[in-house]
Amino acid sequence: MADAASTPPCVEVVDLHKRFGPLEVLRGVSTRVDRGSVVSIIGASGSGKSTLLRCINYLELPTSGEVRIDGEAVGFERRPDGQVRKRSAREIARFRQDLGMVFQQFNLWPHLTVLGNVVEAPLRVRGMPKREAMELGRACLARVQLSEKADEYPARLSGGQQQRVAIARALAMQPKVMLFDEATSALDPELTGEVLEVMRGLAADGTTMIVVTHEMAFAREVSDRAIYLHNGLIEEEGPPAQVFGDPKSDRCRQFLAKLLH
Amino acid sequence: MGNWERLVWNQRDVLLQGLLVTIEICAIAFAVAIVMGLGLALIRLYVRPLRWIAGFWIEYCRATPIFVQLMWVNYVWPELIGWPTSFYTAGWVALALQSSGYLAETFRAGIENIGRGQREAAAAVGMSPILAFRRIVLPQVLVMIAPTIVTQFTVIVKSSTLVSVITVQDLMFQSQRLVNVWYEPIEILTATAALYILFIFAVSALGKALADRLRLRYGLGT
Amino acid sequence: MFSQNLREMLDLALFWEYRQILLAGLAFNFYVFAVSAVVAVSLGFLAALGRVNPLRPLRWLGAIHVETFRNAPDYVMLVWVHFVLPLLLSQMLGQRITFAPFVSAVIALGLVYSGYLAETFRTGIQAVPKGQIEAARACGMGGALIMRRIILPQAVRMMLPEAMNNFVSLFKATTIVSLITVPDLMYRVSMVTQQEMRPLPLYTGAAITYFLLIWGVAALARAGSERWRRKIWA
Ligand SMILES: Nc1ncnc2c1ncn2[C@@H]1O[C@H](COP(=O)(O)OP(=O)(O)OP(=O)(O)O)[C@@H](O)[C@H]1O
Ligand SMILES: [Mg+2]
Repeated sequence: MADAASTPPCVEVVDLHKRFGPLEVLRGVSTRVDRGSVVSIIGASGSGKSTLLRCINYLELPTSGEVRIDGEAVGFERRPDGQVRKRSAREIARFRQDLGMVFQQFNLWPHLTVLGNVVEAPLRVRGMPKREAMELGRACLARVQLSEKADEYPARLSGGQQQRVAIARALAMQPKVMLFDEATSALDPELTGEVLEVMRGLAADGTTMIVVTHEMAFAREVSDRAIYLHNGLIEEEGPPAQVFGDPKSDRCRQFLAKLLH
Repeated sequence: MGNWERLVWNQRDVLLQGLLVTIEICAIAFAVAIVMGLGLALIRLYVRPLRWIAGFWIEYCRATPIFVQLMWVNYVWPELIGWPTSFYTAGWVALALQSSGYLAETFRAGIENIGRGQREAAAAVGMSPILAFRRIVLPQVLVMIAPTIVTQFTVIVKSSTLVSVITVQDLMFQSQRLVNVWYEPIEILTATAALYILFIFAVSALGKALADRLRLRYGLGT
Repeated sequence: MFSQNLREMLDLALFWEYRQILLAGLAFNFYVFAVSAVVAVSLGFLAALGRVNPLRPLRWLGAIHVETFRNAPDYVMLVWVHFVLPLLLSQMLGQRITFAPFVSAVIALGLVYSGYLAETFRTGIQAVPKGQIEAARACGMGGALIMRRIILPQAVRMMLPEAMNNFVSLFKATTIVSLITVPDLMYRVSMVTQQEMRPLPLYTGAAITYFLLIWGVAALARAGSERWRRKIWA
């Protein structure tokens, strides 16, 4: 355990396939995300970025392949005797607690206050005592600079504020990894800054993050590694300086060139 | 199985005759309700002095249970105004009254929904208000409220079972008569219930399909 | 003649004279309403859960329940439950079973209105945006918890006006239970009419009573549910 190299990576994806009927959206994706690192995923619309994220926390059931969190497969259990057993929905839900997800459309619960949104899962899923949950909730809101909005309802907040609440809600699960699916795409341009700022802060604090984004400058700045996804396959993967600055793949080069115009 | 044949299949003529009476009385009530509903809606919208009377009448028809309405029309109206003189008439009058209240509100909402712009555009090309209503407003309203009208017809069919209470010889009446003859209610009443359920299901499915097609044709989506 | 009749109609003294008997009848309308509402809400909720269930057989069961009872006329259902259901149960259990009229009334109306309410519930449940449910799943919440904490609080408010309409219809439907001799207001009106031979003031009185009651309650319910709906987050 003392040896860093021997501990399993935080998230490991092995030969992941996903099809929707005849359409194969993921065609064998394998990668790993180490603890404390930030991985960004870029790629054209429809390349399967969202599907990959959603398969990682089993919102979509992968057609085949494996997702491992801290070395444990999410979808099934390997018994010591070598037998493999599919996990129940309840067990998979337990794994999801370790994965905080932030959606493009915020998806806040409008009938709960901001603080209510944040403490819902700690209270009801983790079974945390109320006092402790409230403290945790307020701490998470402080991290996204929204302490003063705790008792507002989501509908009264701007888009940027709503997305920050969604981030706080995910943080409150104290997850091992945060997954961001185009967290700023639904926002007006002048509101993206505040959300990116919060994400930058998380990265600086050493949060493990997988970030699907169209904000290339941001991705280049914060990530330790970048992945270019094309038609359900990893086409290019490496340090951001390489992927953004000198990609080996022509498709990735073209994709980046198009974005610059 | 023998019972089904003896009690239901062999009585099919009687039952079908009853079904025909049901369809007939519902059709009459439906037609009257639409005309009355439209009239009431127009009065409520455009005839200022009569507005409150129409409003009261609509509320009365909507808030009184159909069975109470039926008894009231059947027992009270003849003494009060000498009409209706037959149970059959009392039956469709009560059914029509009930639905006219709902339809009036539906029409009103529909008419109010067609913006002033439509009417002004019609006036701008020289249409009289009445012509504009008939050619421009009403067709749009009908397309818009078609689903509600279909629902209202199924409500009439369901309520029509009650006219058997005042001896109108509809399906419900015939089936209860058969029960009284044979004293074997299981097959007859089950068949009757199934017939009603299937009939109403078919009517609403068909009506919904028609209404959807109508709306689709005018680009109002589903 | 007309004005004399009108005076007789509005002379509700007769109606007043029998007020105690009639009021006791009206109470029966409320009993029937209350108990069948409980039956209808419980069955309707189960059927709605069936209709939105990921399991296909349950979806089918829910759909059959809804389509059967929503399309069944109240009166036909009432007669069927009162005269056929006990016979079927007797055959099945091998012992004679009969239903008291009140029991039949409650079962029949409960079944029919469970069909309407199920559709109302389903519409409310499905009106909650899918993204919110995904967010809940992503937080590790399970199906029951999501239903209780995320879907129902929003669905209840969204479906309230339509549910109110369903309840008003159910109350109106309670007037037909007199036809299987539940001694409600209409039943007593027809009894008194047979004694007094004066249908005019009696039926008019009944009509006015029901009208005022239902109209008043419906208006209150509408105002109340609108206010509740508009409250806070919308
Ligand atoms: N539930 C689904 N059923 C069927 N097809 C789906 C489903 N979800 C996604 N797809 C398809 O899978 C493909 C990849 O979708 P995905 O959302 O993963 O792309 P993306 O890379 O996130 O694109 P974007 O940048 O537009 O968000 C698309 O062609 C999409 O139509
Ligand atoms: Mg996407």
